[in-house]
Amino acid sequence: MKIVALVVALICFALAVGYGSGTVQFAAHTPGPHVKHAVVFAVLGVVALVWMRFQSGASAPSAR
Amino acid sequence: MLLAVLQGVSELFPVSSLGHTVLLPALFGWRIDRSDPTFLAFVVALHLGTALALLVFYRADWARIAGGLTRSVVRGRIGEDPDERLGWLLVAGTIPLALVGVFLEEPVKRLFGSATLVAGFLILNAFVMFSGERLKRAKSGDIALGALPYPSGVGVGFSQALALLPGISRSGSSIVTGLLVGLDHEDAARFSFLLATPAIGAASVLEIPRLFAPAAHGVLIESLVGGVVAAVTAYASVTFLTRYFRTNDLRPFGWYCLVFGSVCLVLALTKVIA
Repeated sequence: MKIVALVVALICFALAVGYGSGTVQFAAHTPGPHVKHAVVFAVLGVVALVWMRFQSGASAPSAR
Repeated sequence: MLLAVLQGVSELFPVSSLGHTVLLPALFGWRIDRSDPTFLAFVVALHLGTALALLVFYRADWARIAGGLTRSVVRGRIGEDPDERLGWLLVAGTIPLALVGVFLEEPVKRLFGSATLVAGFLILNAFVMFSGERLKRAKSGDIALGALPYPSGVGVGFSQALALLPGISRSGSSIVTGLLVGLDHEDAARFSFLLATPAIGAASVLEIPRLFAPAAHGVLIESLVGGVVAAVTAYASVTFLTRYFRTNDLRPFGWYCLVFGSVCLVLALTKVIA
């Protein structure tokens, strides 16, 4: 699952850069950069990294 | 000022703010150009005011939630602390709305701008609330918000996206879904208002540049005053609604939507309103 989370994070960051620079236009309704799309995918990328961190935490031995 | 009060009240009451911003100008003959930069700046200020009011009202909750989120990230796992769980439930519930919002908001706005359709959706909103209350009464036992399973949180988040249809209420659909996944009215309303804070706040923060656009300079003071009025009204609304849902249900709002939607539908079908 860590690998899946990492791949999801990388895809999200790539989409954020693509939408932010205007190179990705998928499902966009006006030409040019799309800041909202970029911010949403950047935040999703961060959430995916946190998910990856949780996968590490779950497999680590308990501190108790 | 009327628009600011309307925003502050209807954004949080389960009666669809978007539906009211289409139907009331049509009823009273207000000429509003929704693509005008000055109007867009004004709307951004109203939404910022509403989000700020929610943030202030739930400031203690948000402080605990932020602490819970930070602790869980540092620890590398989500513990049993209800604030940690609630924080991640809010994250899980916000993701669907964010994705649906960025991809579908514009096309949906273009498709559903007519008073007839909006009035129809308002009537549908009423039946969603009536059905939700009926199904809730048929279920036994409530679960605490802190114990809500993550798929249920995502489901409540998805239901908020229905509010992209003008006439369907964001708080109405999310409270109904909250009731259906086992929350009581008080927790369902609390979860709905907590979910509304990042939804309204993020959407309006991303639109802040519109507030300072050169074309909007002439209405900056009016926009700021409107934002303050919307904030005060939204604070009063959320104070009232959190008390209301301790002992009451959604049916009065359902009756309001049914009556108002039916009147508007008749007026729209008979071409009295456009």
